[in-house]
Amino acid sequence: MADKLRTQQQLEALQNKYIGTGHADTTKHEWTSNIARDSYASFQGHPPLLHYMSVGMGQGMERTRMHCMESMVLPCGPAPQTEE
Amino acid sequence: MANVQTTQAFYSLTLSPPSAPTAACTTNSIPGLKNQDQQIFEARGSSIYLHYIRENQDKTEVKMETVCSQDCFGIIRGVTSFRIPGTATDQLVISSDSGRIALVNYDATKKSFKRIHLETFGKSGIRRTVPGQYLASDPRGRCVMLASAEKNKVVYIVNRNAEANIVISSPHEANSWANLCFAICALDTGWEHPVFAALEVEYADAESDPSGAMYVAREKQLVYYTVDLGLNHVVKSWSDAVDYTANMLFGVPGGQDGPSGVLVCAEGRIYYRHDKAEPLCIPIPRRKGATEDPERKRIIVAGCLHLSKARHEFFFLLQTEDGDLFKLTMELGEDAQGRKTTPVRMVMKYYDTFPVAKTMLLIRKGYIYIAAENGNSKLYHVNDLADNLDFEPENLFSSDDVSADPAEDYTPTYFTPRQLEFTSLAADVPGLHPLMRTRVENLAPEREDAPQIYALQGTGANSVLKTLRHGLEIQEIVSSPLGEMPYDAVFALKHRASDSFHSYLLLSTAYSDRTTVLSIGDEVETMEDSPFMTARATVEARLMASTTLVQVHARGVHSILESGAVNDWPAPEHRTIVAASANDRQLLLGLSSSELAFFFMDDNGVLSQLEEMPEMSGKVTCLGVGQTPVGQQQAKFAVVGCDDNTIRVLSIELDTPLEARSVQALSAVPTSIRVVSQTDPASGTNVSYVHIGLASGLYLRAVIDDVTGELGEVRTKFLGARPTRLFPVEVEGQQGIVACSSRPWLGYNHPNSGLYTLTPLVTDGAPFVAACPFVTEQVSGLCAVQGDSLLIFSLPNIDGRLASQEVALRYTPRNMSRNLWYPIWYVVEADGNTLSQGTKKGLLTAGAAKADENENMNGIEASEQDEDALALEKHLGYSRAKGHWASCIQAIDPLTERKVTATIELEENEAALCCAVVNFESKKEELFLAVGTGQHMTPGSKLPGAEKPKGFVHMYRLTNDGKKMELVHRTQFAYPIYAVTPFQGRVAIGVKTELLIYDIGLKALLRKSRGIIVPNQIVAIETKGLRLAVADVSESVTFVVFKPSPHNRLIGFVDDSIARWSTAITLLDYETVAGGDKFGNLWVLRVPEQASREADEEGVGGYIANERGYLGGAPYRLELRSHFFAQDIPTAIQRTSLVAGGQELLFWSGLEGTMGILIPFVAREDVEFFSQLEGLVRAEEAPLAGRDHLMYRGYYVPVKGVVDGDLCERFLRLGVDAKGRIAGEVERGVGEVERKVLEMRSRVAF
Repeated sequence: MADKLRTQQQLEALQNKYIGTGHADTTKHEWTSNIARDSYASFQGHPPLLHYMSVGMGQGMERTRMHCMESMVLPCGPAPQTEE
Repeated sequence: MANVQTTQAFYSLTLSPPSAPTAACTTNSIPGLKNQDQQIFEARGSSIYLHYIRENQDKTEVKMETVCSQDCFGIIRGVTSFRIPGTATDQLVISSDSGRIALVNYDATKKSFKRIHLETFGKSGIRRTVPGQYLASDPRGRCVMLASAEKNKVVYIVNRNAEANIVISSPHEANSWANLCFAICALDTGWEHPVFAALEVEYADAESDPSGAMYVAREKQLVYYTVDLGLNHVVKSWSDAVDYTANMLFGVPGGQDGPSGVLVCAEGRIYYRHDKAEPLCIPIPRRKGATEDPERKRIIVAGCLHLSKARHEFFFLLQTEDGDLFKLTMELGEDAQGRKTTPVRMVMKYYDTFPVAKTMLLIRKGYIYIAAENGNSKLYHVNDLADNLDFEPENLFSSDDVSADPAEDYTPTYFTPRQLEFTSLAADVPGLHPLMRTRVENLAPEREDAPQIYALQGTGANSVLKTLRHGLEIQEIVSSPLGEMPYDAVFALKHRASDSFHSYLLLSTAYSDRTTVLSIGDEVETMEDSPFMTARATVEARLMASTTLVQVHARGVHSILESGAVNDWPAPEHRTIVAASANDRQLLLGLSSSELAFFFMDDNGVLSQLEEMPEMSGKVTCLGVGQTPVGQQQAKFAVVGCDDNTIRVLSIELDTPLEARSVQALSAVPTSIRVVSQTDPASGTNVSYVHIGLASGLYLRAVIDDVTGELGEVRTKFLGARPTRLFPVEVEGQQGIVACSSRPWLGYNHPNSGLYTLTPLVTDGAPFVAACPFVTEQVSGLCAVQGDSLLIFSLPNIDGRLASQEVALRYTPRNMSRNLWYPIWYVVEADGNTLSQGTKKGLLTAGAAKADENENMNGIEASEQDEDALALEKHLGYSRAKGHWASCIQAIDPLTERKVTATIELEENEAALCCAVVNFESKKEELFLAVGTGQHMTPGSKLPGAEKPKGFVHMYRLTNDGKKMELVHRTQFAYPIYAVTPFQGRVAIGVKTELLIYDIGLKALLRKSRGIIVPNQIVAIETKGLRLAVADVSESVTFVVFKPSPHNRLIGFVDDSIARWSTAITLLDYETVAGGDKFGNLWVLRVPEQASREADEEGVGGYIANERGYLGGAPYRLELRSHFFAQDIPTAIQRTSLVAGGQELLFWSGLEGTMGILIPFVAREDVEFFSQLEGLVRAEEAPLAGRDHLMYRGYYVPVKGVVDGDLCERFLRLGVDAKGRIAGEVERGVGEVERKVLEMRSRVAF
């Protein structure tokens, strides 16, 4: 029993430290939101990629960056209703 | 089988590093310079640069000089600089993808960057929660904060200890779960505890609420993080909600200089916020004009602060996304103690309009540096700080009566943008970003032996087609025809050695055996009564022993003493002088009888001959004596070239005259020899080099051993088809060589790298015959005989190695295609979210009609007005409008007329995306331009109620030698067209997932074949024979075979196992494709042998047509042959050769302005040698910013089959010890390793 508790604690520590670490009950929404947030962070973190998108959209890089940041708030819409 | 090389290996080199700036800051890193004399520390791509602004006495010439640059082999994300109290120079901080913070210093003695600290705080790579996205440093130099896009923030406290070493604390973290960080900045708190401000949004509530109400109610917080220096920790000290659209923060000066706090820049408004003061708000003025949307809100994209510590005054310069600069000042009210600490009002004044900056810097010397997002970075001189409030009062706005509550509405303010008023352009930093497409092609093979690089660059109104050539630009000063006589030699002489200018110019012609003497004064004119011999051709002319002018001609030596007396030495009977060379004291002649005659000149200017006249093994063709070393009378060696393909080094010292020292065999007859002493970059000492030109057009350079006279370190380069002739010159105070073959070349020590560089001179017209230095009061340059004219020119800049000419385009270029028969390019251009010409005209005439009612036009001529309006529009950029497209197709003659010859504007919201010149099988005598377009496209955002995007293919007939285009017809498609290409006398078109083959008809294109090939969107098609390589936007490349009539089937037979987001592809051969993707990778893929064989079977009865797909794709998978992370997004890739007679290689160009090559290795030993060298250099010198090199080059996929040449070239910059160690490890000499590294580049490129 103690072992199980410890594993649980370790997992929680990991989940706290590394965002996106899954658990047994990860929902599709959690998972896709996590992937989308990772992608948006990568788009703005790699300067050539941000530049590429800005040229394509005909706007400044700062605006594209804001768009990426804003999209990270709720990338896949609100979580679906859960049945209690 | 073990020795069979199964994979092709490449050697990757960068020709021009990326020019797009990622970050920049001002710094005082060079010790000994004044505080005012700031430098610029800039990051571009993976390199860091330290620039210095050099201005001449009266500030008329300003230059941005790169003091030091280094490739960090990592993605640099931010830089900052700060002064730790008590230290002499600024610390530089680099945040990169290494998960480490790097503290760097500039080491002025070694002229390199020195790493002080490297602290790990997270994983490597660019991740959501690893700090590095944002970087801010305390204005008092006490700590630095790094933040990530989500959750993590880390603060390092930096100090100086008693031993004057810089110490860095352990990281202090300030993390908050589910918290997004939009911006950070450092507050100016004086000497109180440092505070960092951050814009944050918490998303935990929004995410867990299924109703979406929490999402709507989300707030953006301005959070203060106080770094408690006493307790050594970071605390969240204050937070408050701000305007939700806020995107940027600027720290307001504090302490004695101002009220502290931050400027929060949001969409349409700027707020002043602080925990100890009332908030203020001012709207960002919008542009006025008939074509401007009055409702469009701007955001601030860049800004800088000016703080005068002496007067406690400050102001901000803030730039909007349109490029308009505003000066923001704050008026402070007095508090109870009479101190000016409470801000009561903000005032904004329109300043000027600049290109949109990534980072804007104000330099204390009086400049504004715009590290431009697109196009050349620019340095502006500040002429006026717009202090006069009466000037343009309509452009002055204040925060009075504006509520600081973001929920409340405000009345927008408007201004009219104009040309530069307060500033003037001081320097332009050449850049190639954004590089949309390149093509290497030789459009004028009859005139130029090397191909040119045609580059589409820029966005919007600043788009250009650049013609790039490897070479130095020359500034022509005089070019005057010389008449009929074919002159073949030119000598410029001083009258006395102490003169600073040249007095005589001798032009000699062997053809008519004559010399023309010109006197150089205010003008250059023929001298009638010169002391020189004019009835003979001059072999050599020189000033010897300070005052004696010596002229060598075929029949003797003519020396003119200072007194005017003339001494003549006649050549021995039946013999003529064929070659001669002299220095200050020694003169060596080669006679037609293969004998040498040697002279020494005494102080009186009298030549005394050595009695011995040794005979050489063959006819003497050329010779060169060494330059007289400073402070000595004699040079040690002379080099004699004979027609038996040898050169001999002879001693010419008086005690051992004409004693042979060494012999070297050559591949051809030497035609020209020069012995020049140049600085050796490694040791910094002067070394004698012998430069040899051969009849085969080769050029050799070797070092003469100072003691033994042995030749060593031979470097070879092929210059052109003509025999090479060499002429010593002086470039920027250093000895150099002009080598004339079918093109003139300049050999010099490069001012930045210090390496000996050979670069062609870009000249119009005939090749050079001869050249010499030319210095007068007005001109300091070179003089050359070019064909039948005399050319006097100077070299304005020897830093760059690419000469460029440009033709202005109208919109952002998307693609280009070359006319198959004439040197004409067709460029398709499109700007998203921009008003089209037609719409704009409509708006303008509507506006003008209104204006006309009010006042009649004054008598200004319409055309003049138009021209001004055009220039203004180019300066300000086009009017923007969401969902609109402006697009056109242009034909450009880049060589003769150097201008646009035809323009076709597209209407109805269409955007041209791709083009190809097609010669249809059914209309062989005509050429057509196929242009793929998209209509009603909405990149990035879907507008509510917008029409579904459609596509068209326009066909234009090319007339008038390709200079004009006539619309034939346009064919509609269901989706935008991103790829068209000629295929088997027809045209292949990619429509979303379908590949279609069309023939031309009378009213529309006629479909011949159709195949559904890729899963998402076809973005590029390349063809060879009946095979097509089709690139998908996200699913790599699929190979398709076309089975011609009667089957007319397109069969995809190989695809890839990795999802590559392809941007550019090219077929290397029938079975191999090379390409690049959006994440900055370069790859080479190959079709498996069996698949290739089966695909080529006749008809559709064979195996391939009936084969079942494997795992939902094609039956076979491509094999990965090479993979390399280049960081920049490749926009073009091409198999070509870059120099005359050079091996073929893979040339690629990237969006950020990178141009690079992949050179295929020919020999297996080379692969082994260079991979070993790469490994050793990697171990010897770890990248500066702390990224692991191998991890970096294998960012997404492990690097395969590519040796990083840029890293190998770091070998040349290593210290002597390190070089020796590595050379020992590879069992070669240092010189040999250097030669191999240099030759790898110089053999095929530049």
